[in-house]
Amino acid sequence: MIKETMTSKERVEAAIKLEPYDRVPVAPLMDVMFPSRHKGMTVAYGISHWKEGLQAIVDIFDEVGGWDAMILPGYSLALTPKVASGVMASMGTRGYKFPGQDAAVSENSQPQYEERERLTVDNYDEIIKYGWSGFAERNRERYTSFPPEQIIAWAKKQTEHYAREGETWAQKGVPSLCGAIVESPLMFLSTKRSLTSFTMDLHRIPDKVEAVMDALVDDLITDTIEAARLTGIPGVMLVLERGGCFYYPLKIFERFEFPYMKKMVEAFAAEGLITVMHFDQDWTLNLPYLKELPEKICIAELDSTTDIFKAKEILKGHMCIAGDVPASLSAIGTPEDMEAYCKKLIDVVGDGGGFILSSGCTIPANAKFENFKTMIDTAKSYLPAR
Amino acid sequence: MSELADAIAELNEDEAKRLVREKIDAGVEPLSIVDECREGMDIVGGRYKNKEYFLSELIVSGEIFKEAMAVVEPLLKGGKQAESLSKMVLGTVKGDIHNIGKDIVGTLLTAAGFEVYDLGIDIAPSIFVDKLVETGAPILGMSGLLTPSFESMKETVKAVEEAGLRDKVKIIVGGGIVTEQVGKYVGADAFTSDGPEGVEICKKFARETK
Repeated sequence: MIKETMTSKERVEAAIKLEPYDRVPVAPLMDVMFPSRHKGMTVAYGISHWKEGLQAIVDIFDEVGGWDAMILPGYSLALTPKVASGVMASMGTRGYKFPGQDAAVSENSQPQYEERERLTVDNYDEIIKYGWSGFAERNRERYTSFPPEQIIAWAKKQTEHYAREGETWAQKGVPSLCGAIVESPLMFLSTKRSLTSFTMDLHRIPDKVEAVMDALVDDLITDTIEAARLTGIPGVMLVLERGGCFYYPLKIFERFEFPYMKKMVEAFAAEGLITVMHFDQDWTLNLPYLKELPEKICIAELDSTTDIFKAKEILKGHMCIAGDVPASLSAIGTPEDMEAYCKKLIDVVGDGGGFILSSGCTIPANAKFENFKTMIDTAKSYLPAR
Repeated sequence: MSELADAIAELNEDEAKRLVREKIDAGVEPLSIVDECREGMDIVGGRYKNKEYFLSELIVSGEIFKEAMAVVEPLLKGGKQAESLSKMVLGTVKGDIHNIGKDIVGTLLTAAGFEVYDLGIDIAPSIFVDKLVETGAPILGMSGLLTPSFESMKETVKAVEEAGLRDKVKIIVGGGIVTEQVGKYVGADAFTSDGPEGVEICKKFARETK
């Protein structure tokens, strides 16, 4: 093992600020799925039993000798005590089929997103007229059967759990990076309209889509900053998937994704919040734009479909990169495959700092424990010969 | 290139609709309208391959194609039928409910001339096998977005073997996280995470299994 001269917190902060560190920090995107299965619980049980689920994550942390940061502290939601915040969360969670709740999604599966329309094209005008909060309050009953006071109580409890998850890790000397989670307006609309319908909206009524995004973005920013303040964790996860070059040409990205991303990241940075940009799917062609975002306060978190080596070339000296052990490697690879891939990441992406070794998206429920441990061990033991 | 093919290639939805209606009214053979639509989709596929187009253009052109087919297909009944490139069974594997990739590929395969039997999502190995037997399709396409889907793919390949069909059926697996390693692990003949590339592989399979 490498002789450590920094705490986990110092190491991760150094990576984000592109300063030297004693070794590459390692921070898997860990939720309750893999730890639940490793502990012999079903994923369904871990998700629905907060204390046991969180304990399962802590246990696996201890079993592998720890890691440097939690990108998200657990699996609760960080919400503001408002009806609009609860409605948005409800739209999101009700979009998923949870393990054990559906014949197709077994007790050991991960939650799966069901692609269907939750917003109609007719809702656009209402969002433009009343903003997101106004729309959510006016349409509450469409998305949740709970009355306002119960929604607010639920939101408070979720946020309290989120904060407690963060405290659990802080007590172990492990920082949590994201105190709130938010989608970009494009990601939000695409998942709520469905990919096909939203893509047709962009094709047929682009001006209206832009107006909806303009009406959404300020509420998203305000609410996210407030949620991060409530959890006490000075960072935000900005969930991005559908605005990148896997889906859309740059002309769409330039008009419907990047201006809003930039506005959000700048607003978070102005509050001292780091932004972990959670890039699912391929964003390789979009990478040069990230140099327009505030430097040394963001993390580009990649899932193995974006070219992480190209990302290093482009973002070196500007932004920390996290990633990108492929989910398939965790699930069906060997420890030798894992070690070789992690060493390559450390050698190339870790060169000169600004890198956090992480999983590409969440550690899958069926990851092999020996592969996961190899990822953690490699970060702690492998020092490139330079 | 015909005007209709051009309208589809340029993603001009209104113009494509207008031209389809105009041709039908003028008594143009429905099959030749289908051919023009397919020509447009071919151009879209080429532009995607050249990185001029992205997934969004595949989606938009696919929707335009489906709208055109909804009007033309009823007119094909009883008349001259389009020649199928090959039959093909398609579905998202057991335990996985994701349909976006599968649906896009299904539209592209149909537009390319395949007779696609799309079984939907969460499809058990035995259902895939039954459909292969029923249709005699020589190609099987399985989709999955999650790592547990690898096991379902593997089980389906095994079921195809046990049914004695493996040497008669070419198998391709696809999905956002499907890699070469996954293709080998499940025992498929090919893998892809790219829809149009998948169509090209299936065209090759169609030639090989003729």
